[in-house]
Amino acid sequence: MEEQDQMQSSIEVEEVEEQQREGKRLEEENVVRFLDSLDSYVTLLDSLSSTLRQGWLELASARQSMGASRINGALLDLKSHSAATSLQVTHHDDEILNQPHFTLCKWASSKNGYGDEKLRENKLQTNSDGPQLRHRSQFAEKIPETKGAPLIVDDQVQKERTKSLSMFGTLVSPKLRAAQLSFETALETLVEIANVRLTMLSTSDQVRKELEGTEG
Amino acid sequence: MYGFEALTFNIHAGYLEAIVRGHRAGLLTAADYNNLCQCETLDDIKMHLSATEYGSYLQNEPSPLHTTTIVEKCTLKLVDDYKHMLCQATEPLSTFLEYITYGHMIDNVVLIVTGTLHERDVQELLEKCHPLGMFDSIATLAVAQNMRELYRLVLVDTPLAPYFSECITSEDLDDMNIEIMRNTLYKAYLEDFYRFCQKLGGATAEIMSDLLSFEADRRAVNITINSIGTELTRDDRKKLYSNFGLFYPYGHEELAVCEDIDQVRGVMEKYPPYQSIFSKLSYGESQMLDKAFYEEEVKRLCLAFEQQFHYGVFFAYMRLREQEIRNLMWISECVAQNQKSRVHDSVVFIF
Repeated sequence: MEEQDQMQSSIEVEEVEEQQREGKRLEEENVVRFLDSLDSYVTLLDSLSSTLRQGWLELASARQSMGASRINGALLDLKSHSAATSLQVTHHDDEILNQPHFTLCKWASSKNGYGDEKLRENKLQTNSDGPQLRHRSQFAEKIPETKGAPLIVDDQVQKERTKSLSMFGTLVSPKLRAAQLSFETALETLVEIANVRLTMLSTSDQVRKELEGTEG
Repeated sequence: MYGFEALTFNIHAGYLEAIVRGHRAGLLTAADYNNLCQCETLDDIKMHLSATEYGSYLQNEPSPLHTTTIVEKCTLKLVDDYKHMLCQATEPLSTFLEYITYGHMIDNVVLIVTGTLHERDVQELLEKCHPLGMFDSIATLAVAQNMRELYRLVLVDTPLAPYFSECITSEDLDDMNIEIMRNTLYKAYLEDFYRFCQKLGGATAEIMSDLLSFEADRRAVNITINSIGTELTRDDRKKLYSNFGLFYPYGHEELAVCEDIDQVRGVMEKYPPYQSIFSKLSYGESQMLDKAFYEEEVKRLCLAFEQQFHYGVFFAYMRLREQEIRNLMWISECVAQNQKSRVHDSVVFIF
C-alpha cells in the first residue's frame, strides 16, 4: 500500500515536473518568437527607409529628366475614382494568433475583379526567412509559381500601373516607372511591418504575463 | 566663314552678341559645382550662390528654403536675361529669340489642359507654368473641351497656331490625346524652327541645324524608350518623329519597331556621332542615358561659342542656363534628401 502511494506520488511529481518543463519550453518559445518578430520589425523598418529614399531620389531624377512642368503636384487627379490598391483586415480565429491580419490588395480593379491579393497574402505568410527587399524588372513582374496565380495578372497589373502614371502623361520616363515600383515596394513593406508589429506586441504581452506569473 | 556676316552682323546684333558672351562667362564652373556638392543644407547652397549671378535673386528668400524656390529664383535670372535681349533685338533676331520660347509655351499649354482635365484650379496651374512660355490668353485654355475648341478659342492668336493643323480633332481631350498633341506640336515647332534657321543661312543655319538635329534625334530616342510597353502603336510612334535629323528617315524606321532599350542601342550605334553616348552605358541600362545626352548637348552648345557672327550663341546660352538650373535642382534635391553620394549621377559640368 505504501509502495503504491509512493509510486502515485512519484508519478504526480513527474507530471508536475513535466508540466513545468512544458511551461518553461512554451515561455522560451514565446521569447524566441518575440525576438524573431523584433528582429523582423527592425529589419523591415530599415528596408522601408532605404526603399523610400530610393523612391524619392528616382522621383527627383524623373523630374529632372522630364521637366518640372510634367512632374508636379498640380497634375494630381482630383476626380473621384476607385482606389487601385486597398487594405483588407481579417481576423484569425486561432487561439494562438488571436489578432487581426493585414493584406494588401494591389491593383485590384472593381471592374474586372483581377488583382494579386492572393499573391500578396502568400508572400506575406511565407515570409519566414526574414524580410527581403524585392527587386523587380522594369516592365514585367516575375511572380513566383503559386497555385491558382494566372499569368494574365501580369498584363493587368502592368496596365493598372500605367493607368495610375497617366496623370503625368502616357509617355513617361523609365525613371518615373522605377519610382512607382519603389513606392509600391514601400507600401508592401509597410503592411508587412504592421503584421510583424502585431505579432511582436502579442508575443510581448504573452512573455510579460508569463514573467508576472512566474514572479507571482 | 560662310558668308559676309562679319561685315554686317555687328550693325544690328553686335551689342547683343557681346551681352550674351558676357552672360556665358557668368555660368557656373566646375569649382562652383564642387563647392555646391559639398553643401550640407539648402541654406549653404544659397550662401554659395550668393557669390554668383543668382545672388540677388536668392538673397531675400527666407529660411527654410525649398528646392522649388531655388529653381524658381534661378529661372527668374534666365527670364530677365532673355527679356533684356528680346527688347533690344531687331528682326530677324527677335523672331529667332521668340522661337526659343515656343517649347515652353507648348509645355504650359499641355500643363493647363492636363490640370484642367484633372479638375485642378487654374490659378494653381498658372503658378506652375514656365515664365518664358506665358502668353496673354493662357488662362482661357481651361474652358476648352477638345482640340478644336482649344485652337478656336485660344491658340489661333498665338505663335503655336500654325502647329495645330495636324492636331485638330473634335475628340474629347484625354491623357493619350494630350500626349500625342504635345509631341505633335513639338515636332511641328522643331521643324518650323529648323526651316527658319535654314532661311537665315550662313553660320546660323550651319550651327543651328546641328543643334536642332541633335534635339530631334534625342526626342526620337526618348519617345521610343518612353513608349515601350505602352499602347502607342508603331505607326503612331513614327508619326511623332521629326522629319529631319541624323536618324531621318532610315533610323526612324528602325526606331519605330524597337521593343527594348538594347534594340534602341543597336539602332543608335550605327550612327558614329551617337556611338560615344552608348559606350558609357552597360547593356540594358537606361538610367544614365539622359545624362549622356545632356553631356553631348552641352559639348555641342559650348562649341557654338567658338564662332562669331551667328544667332546660335543665343540659343546655346539659353540651353546652357537651363542645364545649369537642372544641375542646381539636382544638387538641391540630393542635399535636401541627404543623398549627397548620388549628386554626381546627374550633374553635367559645363566648363
